Amino acid sequence: MAVFKRNYRQYDGPVTPAWSRFLILPRYAFKNVFRSRLLLVFYVLSFVPTIVFGAFIYLRHNATFLETFQVLPRDFMPVDAQFFFIYLSFQASLAFIITAFIGPGLISPDLANNALPLYLCRPFSRAEYVLGKMSVLIILISAVTWIPGLLLIFMQTNYAGLAWLTDNLRVPVAVLLASWLWIIVISLLALALSAWVKWRVIAGIGLFIIFFVLAGFGNTINVILGTQWGTLIDLASLITNIMHFLFMGEGLQGSIPVWSACLALAVLCALCLRLLNRRLQAYEVVR
Amino acid sequence: MSAPSLPAAPPQTEVPWSLWKSQVSGLLRLEVKKYLLSKRALLLYFLAFLPIFPFLIWNLRAMLVGDLPDIAQASMFYAGMFQTLMLHLVIFFACVITFTNLFRGEVLEHSLHYYFLCPVRREVLVVGKYIAGQFASWIIFLICVVISFCLVYFPYGGQGLDYFTSGPAIGHLLAYMGVTVLAFLGYGAVFLFTGLLFRNPIIPAIVIWIWEGINAFLPAMLQKISVSHYLISLCPVPLSGGPIRVIADPAPAWLSVPGLLLVTLAVLFLASLKIRHMEISYGGE
Amino acid sequence: MSDSQDIIFRNVSKFYGEVLGVNRVDLNLAPGITGLVGPNGSGKTTLMNLMTGLLQPTRGEISILGLPPDRPELLFNRVGYCTQYDSFPRGMNGFQFIYSFLRIHGLVHPQAEDMTWKALEMVGLQDAAKRKVAAYSKGMRQRIKLGQAIAHQPDVLVLDEPLNGLDPMARAEIIDLFKRLSEKGKHVIVSSHILHELDVISDQVVMLSNGYIVAEGDIHGVREEMTDVPMQILVRCDKPAMLASRIFQEDHAVEAQMHSDGQGLLLRTRDADSFFLLMNRMVTQEGLRVESVAPADDDVHSVYLYLIGNQGGSSS
Repeated sequence: MAVFKRNYRQYDGPVTPAWSRFLILPRYAFKNVFRSRLLLVFYVLSFVPTIVFGAFIYLRHNATFLETFQVLPRDFMPVDAQFFFIYLSFQASLAFIITAFIGPGLISPDLANNALPLYLCRPFSRAEYVLGKMSVLIILISAVTWIPGLLLIFMQTNYAGLAWLTDNLRVPVAVLLASWLWIIVISLLALALSAWVKWRVIAGIGLFIIFFVLAGFGNTINVILGTQWGTLIDLASLITNIMHFLFMGEGLQGSIPVWSACLALAVLCALCLRLLNRRLQAYEVVR
Repeated sequence: MSAPSLPAAPPQTEVPWSLWKSQVSGLLRLEVKKYLLSKRALLLYFLAFLPIFPFLIWNLRAMLVGDLPDIAQASMFYAGMFQTLMLHLVIFFACVITFTNLFRGEVLEHSLHYYFLCPVRREVLVVGKYIAGQFASWIIFLICVVISFCLVYFPYGGQGLDYFTSGPAIGHLLAYMGVTVLAFLGYGAVFLFTGLLFRNPIIPAIVIWIWEGINAFLPAMLQKISVSHYLISLCPVPLSGGPIRVIADPAPAWLSVPGLLLVTLAVLFLASLKIRHMEISYGGE
Repeated sequence: MSDSQDIIFRNVSKFYGEVLGVNRVDLNLAPGITGLVGPNGSGKTTLMNLMTGLLQPTRGEISILGLPPDRPELLFNRVGYCTQYDSFPRGMNGFQFIYSFLRIHGLVHPQAEDMTWKALEMVGLQDAAKRKVAAYSKGMRQRIKLGQAIAHQPDVLVLDEPLNGLDPMARAEIIDLFKRLSEKGKHVIVSSHILHELDVISDQVVMLSNGYIVAEGDIHGVREEMTDVPMQILVRCDKPAMLASRIFQEDHAVEAQMHSDGQGLLLRTRDADSFFLLMNRMVTQEGLRVESVAPADDDVHSVYLYLIGNQGGSSS
């Protein structure tokens, strides 16, 4: 008879690369997110504008269609920076609604159930945690903003020729930069709210308050003081201003300078990161 | 073989008004404090006092620059602020935050069962919590309305004071306070109900908000299917519409006030029916 | 005893969508301490939530002292429920927690205050009354919940795992409290995993497994009815070897183990009555001197193992 000592031994088998571990969070989050049929339907519908814009590009270059209906390409709206600015503005508003629905539920349940110590007692940093949670929004919003945007540009280049792309080289750059600006700002804001407001409904409403109530407040300041600096607290206007600059080469008419809009958003992002850093701790806070 | 029937519950012989009164007052003691003094109330205070800042800036500008518009224009300015910033944004979102969470909040905190384990009719619970929410909201937001209204006329000095003592200002202020109260009654009942109906009431809240927001641009017939139409009809200073805004005939006060109250009662009745069959299940939250 | 003094479940089923909570429960509980026993997920909490109207049955009828659970305004004057939920309304201290809900009962201030202090005294939390509940230890939270459940002096006390997290002293005190309430003719319905303690205090047990009631009643009676499971009997006597040899001449004996000191015997028999008759004969006719006879497996723990133990679930 043999007796085998079954002592504790550290696991020494293969492990996944450290850089990819944050992806565990979105993997589980997606399952949760798409349990809501309402969101699933909305998310699918948010691809419809891309199809419409794609159809527009197709028809504009379809000789048979133009001949049959006896229309000239110039009768259509030109496919240029303005066209993609309108497209991305539309997609950005859909992305905002998606974020308002998903974002508040990303961190608050972990805090409410004191689950953070469970994450952070593993070789998993706070930065990776934030990145993991943020990647849920990044992946979902990317799929409705810059990815279809670049596909439309590819489609247009395919029909109109490479010359169109060389003439409009700022368009793909603008689509990428503007999308990422939008993604980073609303994701950080949603995560910060989710971390500080325990109830996700209130966090979701908070996102609307920050975007719309502050916008109203900023406009009121503009009216009272006869200035445009009230726009500094109107996030949607700030981002639109920068987007306009990226697509058209100049900021919105009658709005604040683009550099000040960039500065305001940078301050906001820094504030959100600071709030996240303060809130996400590896210990339970007894309320 | 059929089993013998269970003993019947004793019939309700009379309506125990005094018991209900004391139960509602017990609820008010517990709830109002929670809505006014908890950390959660900070967001409400932020919302309530946000509209005061533009009026402070208005005063500051009057002090520094001094070019005040005509006092009648000041009334128009306040009317614009009240109908857009306060009614459509601040009061609306305050109602969403307060009233969707009257019950949904207790579910999220896993504390609803304490209320359900009291010898209180669930309808009385609905009424008690609703009144508590109203009471707390009125305290916070009526103060905000009074302060902001006074701040509009403050830079006018004696002329402003005359506007209060012998002009229409007091009447306007009372009307705005009345509209604020009615807004909380109407929206409050709606959001209490959506809080009971939906696990995530943000979607219905946003849908209602968009409907109320675009309402002014819809045909006159559709405008009448909204709370804001009746509230705006009761505002003492009418606003002129923009280029694409359709101005529906304002509803008369005799229709608006009882109409809103009736809608409120109807929604509260539906909420009472809903809560009667509500079960405790914290698992999915 | 009239029906209106009992807790009655008539063909009650509860389904959570397609998941079974409890099925076809027929119960008639008389006053006294009733222990609800079963593995995790067996339906104990569902049964208690049905009893108190926190859940509504999919099918069947329930009557608590003649009152339906869907009339809270009547029911909770006579019923107190200490749930398993370990959560409390925010920001309250122990006193406020009990007092505030007594005010919602409709009690006036002096009465509510007096009853709050009495409840706090019963659960031994007077000194911690003004501390925030959020800062209480697990045992204290358990006791304050119990205090809230008994504060209005109910006739039916429903307690979901009330002994969890309590230290041995506190457990003894709380068990003593249950006994006192039971002696006053009240219903005390307790679910617990601490089987040996339930064994001591319960007048009757209800055993649940997978949403079904597998046994109900006085535990000794339940054990006696389990004729398919041989009964274990411990006998201390002067001639255990002779007793063992005699019982194997009968066909009901299954197993006999001699004690190492040669003064006792643990045996398993399929027919306890025949064994006792045999032993009587040996005492009167053959001079067997018996020091003690005791059933070794008619406690809650043994019955639980026989009926539920092999179906999974954990229990201590």
